Amino acid sequence: MKNLYLPITVDHIARVEGKGGVEIVVGDDGVKEVKLNIIEGPRFFEAITVGKKLDEALAVYPRICSFCSAAHKLTAVEAAEKAIGFTPREEIQALREVLYIGDMIESHALHLYLLVLPDYLGYSNPLKMVDEYKKEIGIALDLKNLGSWMMDELGARAIHQENVVLGGFGKLPDKTTLETMKKRLQEALPKAEYTFELFSKLEQYEEVEGPIIHLAVKPRGDVYGIYGDYIKVSDGFEFPVEDYKKHIVEKVVEHSFAKHSFYQGEKPFMVGALPRLVNNADTLYGRARELYESHRDLLRPTNPFANNLAQALELVYFTERAIDLIDEALAKWPVAPRDRVEVKNGFGVSSTEAPRGIVTYALEVKDGRVAYADIITPTAYNFAMMEVHVRMMAEKHYNDDPERLKYLTEMVVRAYDPCISCSVHVARL
Amino acid sequence: MEGKVRIGFYALTSCYGCQLQLAMMDEILQLLPHAEIVCWFMLERDSYEDEPVDIAFIEGSVSTEEEVELVKKIRENAKIVVAVGSCAVHGGVQSWEKDKSLEELWKTVYGDGKVKFEPKMAEPVENYIKVDYRIYGCPPEKKDFLYALGTFLVGSWPEDIDYPVCVECRLNGHPCILIEKGEPCLGPITRAGCDARCPGFGVACIGCRGAIGYDVAWFDSLAKTFKEKGLTKEEILQRMKMFNAHNPKLEEMVEKIFQGVEE
Repeated sequence: MKNLYLPITVDHIARVEGKGGVEIVVGDDGVKEVKLNIIEGPRFFEAITVGKKLDEALAVYPRICSFCSAAHKLTAVEAAEKAIGFTPREEIQALREVLYIGDMIESHALHLYLLVLPDYLGYSNPLKMVDEYKKEIGIALDLKNLGSWMMDELGARAIHQENVVLGGFGKLPDKTTLETMKKRLQEALPKAEYTFELFSKLEQYEEVEGPIIHLAVKPRGDVYGIYGDYIKVSDGFEFPVEDYKKHIVEKVVEHSFAKHSFYQGEKPFMVGALPRLVNNADTLYGRARELYESHRDLLRPTNPFANNLAQALELVYFTERAIDLIDEALAKWPVAPRDRVEVKNGFGVSSTEAPRGIVTYALEVKDGRVAYADIITPTAYNFAMMEVHVRMMAEKHYNDDPERLKYLTEMVVRAYDPCISCSVHVARL
Repeated sequence: MEGKVRIGFYALTSCYGCQLQLAMMDEILQLLPHAEIVCWFMLERDSYEDEPVDIAFIEGSVSTEEEVELVKKIRENAKIVVAVGSCAVHGGVQSWEKDKSLEELWKTVYGDGKVKFEPKMAEPVENYIKVDYRIYGCPPEKKDFLYALGTFLVGSWPEDIDYPVCVECRLNGHPCILIEKGEPCLGPITRAGCDARCPGFGVACIGCRGAIGYDVAWFDSLAKTFKEKGLTKEEILQRMKMFNAHNPKLEEMVEKIFQGVEE
């Protein structure tokens, strides 16, 4: 029989942030089509902030995505500060990175324990795991609470942090609070390590093994982290963040409100915790460095499922890193929360590492207002690659029970930790 | 209520922050013995959008034709519909440029690119269905959820707050950002309940919980103070529209008060 198509669809992928679906069309000679349908409506963030006062636009940008609102806030603020020619003091920069790490810890803990782990343990919902997996849920909540609390103290709240302003912070926590933060981070280290142990035992599906191009921000000062001025590619190439448009193109695809991104014109690529490790592992230090060295066989650059374990490794790393950054700030105590900034005209680009990969902001400021805005979010960078891996999984399992196929393809999508809301952004063409 | 309360949490177009706020609450574990989660895609794989529920929580603004159909379906299936957060209640920040056309916004962003789904200008849920209760904020405070869930579970009805952020700010003894620093703080007209969170950090209120009723003295004073600080009517309107673009009385009130102030 010719042209007998069997569509297998997940209308709404559960346990990811935002609304997306998977559509797989199978014909008599195999998989015909694989699409990630992004059905979340458009929100036109760039278009609505152009012409608006800079501080008001900076209040709106984090609202692109709640899971990485600190990432959006801090990246937008850095782009704006670059545009107006302002560089924050080192201690302010350190404390901003601590806030960012709060987002990283919370987001990784939520993703690993609440969104990914239930699949492996056979639960449809993480809340159902409470009785059987008390310890794991306890650790998940502890790490999540630590991350949220760090954002509360440094950002004014865990979602949409208004306390980050041009020139610094509205207000800084007192010294005792920072010392408490340090103590809580030290107490969290064994829990982060337990998470790594737990995730090192989970299956990584061989069906999706294959070469991947990895992009990550090259960390400033050669210390594994979030901020940088260059993008590093796993093929050996490097480019300044300002040149992102020369090397990455975004295309509108018919089945998605989110665009797809390609490196050097046509190549899908991956961003996220795994790409950060692939490109920047030589800048890791401490316990995370040891764990990386002893688990290199599991942290394979060729398997998107290794992204989960890479996130677990980062829980260990960033917990330690935040302690060092707090020490850096405390060494200069008392620290003034903000410097006076003069809003000059200019253009600035910032790319930082959000929990789920590179996020890029390009802002032009003119007469105190946003004159141009271009934002590319991690998930928008990842979509094309995600679709490749969903297809690989589908090609191996299209003859299986459709429920099994759905389950496996959803797991591929989840391994990317996609923020679908934030991918439905808008970029000027 | 007898037996387990059937609850659905539905997402329209948003940042998912309202759901995240609820999911992040440890207290949710205490809710579980009393509630059955029928739909909550963010956490539950076995979620059903078209099943009957006692309480439907909806977050996000209506931004596609598919979402129009979805909210109608939710209303048919639910005893109580709760709009959660700034997007569902007020259309969200994505409504900031609601006076521009969809075509114009689309072109700026997608150029000539076409997508197979039907986009719409963002709107509050109430523009399509009857909403029984609102939880304000971007995102709502945890205690907003606790209060609403708690009262629903005992068969009662949560009440709205009808005083502004200024009241909480004064009670906390924070310096006044508007008067003392001259920053465009929206505290005087914004619905309280956040314990003056941002002014407590020395940051001006951006009005994320939405405006309380306009016919109050605070609104006049604010417009007057803004004007004295040198803000133009356009600047005031732009700021108030961040979370209130769909309020039909906004322009009229700002205009009226501005004229009054000039006398």
